[in-house]
Amino acid sequence: MDTLARIPQLLVYGVISGSILSLGGIGISLTYSILGFANFAHGDIMALGAYITLGVLTLLGGWGLTNTNFGPLSFGIGFILALVISMGLTAAAVVLIDRVLFKRLRRTGSIILMMSSIGVALGLRNILQFFWGPQPHYYVQGIQLATQIPALGIRVKPDQIFIVGTAVLLVILLHGFLQYTKIGKAMRATADNMDLSRVTGINTDRVILWTWVIGAALATAAGALAGVENKFITPELGWQMLLSIFASVVLGGLGNIYGAILGGMVIGISEEVSTAFVSTGYKPAIAFIIMILMLLVKPTGLLGKRR
Amino acid sequence: MSLLRVEEVTSGYGEMEVLHGVSIEATSGEIVSIIGPNGAGKSTLMKTIFGLLHPTGGTIVFKGNDITGFNPDRIVRQGMAYVPQVENIFPSLTVHENLEMGAFIRRDDFRGRTEEIYELFPILKDRRKQRVGKMSGGEQQMVAMGRALMLDPQLLLLDEPSAALAPNLVDMIFSRIIAINRTGVAILIVEQNAKQSLRLADQGYVLAGGRKRFADTGQNLLANEEVGKLYLGG
Repeated sequence: MDTLARIPQLLVYGVISGSILSLGGIGISLTYSILGFANFAHGDIMALGAYITLGVLTLLGGWGLTNTNFGPLSFGIGFILALVISMGLTAAAVVLIDRVLFKRLRRTGSIILMMSSIGVALGLRNILQFFWGPQPHYYVQGIQLATQIPALGIRVKPDQIFIVGTAVLLVILLHGFLQYTKIGKAMRATADNMDLSRVTGINTDRVILWTWVIGAALATAAGALAGVENKFITPELGWQMLLSIFASVVLGGLGNIYGAILGGMVIGISEEVSTAFVSTGYKPAIAFIIMILMLLVKPTGLLGKRR
Repeated sequence: MSLLRVEEVTSGYGEMEVLHGVSIEATSGEIVSIIGPNGAGKSTLMKTIFGLLHPTGGTIVFKGNDITGFNPDRIVRQGMAYVPQVENIFPSLTVHENLEMGAFIRRDDFRGRTEEIYELFPILKDRRKQRVGKMSGGEQQMVAMGRALMLDPQLLLLDEPSAALAPNLVDMIFSRIIAINRTGVAILIVEQNAKQSLRLADQGYVLAGGRKRFADTGQNLLANEEVGKLYLGG
């Protein structure tokens, strides 16, 4: 097919992939700005969320809640419910990990925290593999036909519209939380200056709790939605996306959640559109080429604050 | 009535002792000024009083309670507030949000307090929706003081509020400090602008080499020849 004629369709794929990268990137950005370390376990938190969603979905099915088609979607209301419940359960699991591990290491500095997050990453992935095995699992069986939109020269599936819609909804909710709630404002304040937050009397422990809860909930959405788009989940799901997510967080400006959203979109779209010109195998390289160019031109990222 | 009593406090950073037994006192409603050369331990004293550094010896008594070794989040609840010398604002938050954060531990309706702060610093009211990071140094200093005042403290610690400000702004900040004091807040201020800060001080201390060298009323210290020669530039 003519290269240029493929671009509108690739843009569609890019927006879908970008939605997932953005949701993943927000959590990394939050933990970086508030806790001060790059959380390498975030990809595997996404996978954990995807598997907990699967587990809840199975339980709901056992209780008679079917997961048959909801409107034009390939899955039912059961999946949406399972996703919401899983966001809460995954958040609880991540808060537990923080209490057991990260909290004790908080004073030791960002390198130790980052190294231990790699340990958490491996641990989570192996736990998933132990319980569910390395083979792929499916939220639903069967395939969904794409709807043609000839005027734009694109095909899109209802599931894909659901993915982008969910991402947009979650980002709007997050924006409202950060801008208008007391604890959301305290999160932004703590990201600005943790010491001043303490001196001011802000309950920084509660801010840290919310940081993990929000990061984990959005990671769960990212993981489960990646499962919807890919049609299957494996324990490697998040780890495989982690480098692209880091690239988008750095591109958008480390520590700036709006930057993470923008960066996710730019990386998602660039990766997909690049396949019109180079082999699909270069996708991760594209993410890094863009990131490196950004670091050379403006090291603070697209929306990063100057320090 | 004695509001704050610091007795024979020793403190420092790790192995390095900076304060070698310093005693100072502040009375309700007073302005107390601490002056001294660079490295005298003025900022260390402030950080120790506010619990950012824990004293290795001595006691700190605030409103009759021993607060030695308390952490800042606990001290701020006792009615003491602190404005650090640098990084004393939340730059990505608006003026109004900075004030709201100052009231974080308040459970009551603090809108009245916000209005009082805007009366003290009218320029902030016009800029309430502006991000503080984009504002001038003088305006940021006002936001920092406003934030600290949101809890209605009885004692306000100011660490070099006029540092790095243009001369005309220094006068403005000092006038605001007097205005804050008139609302009944005692102020403990550390300053490089020694003459100006002693002029408005009820009580003054000269700190050098981590020890108290002089203690007297602000006026007397200004008149003291030795203090003038050594610490006020002749």
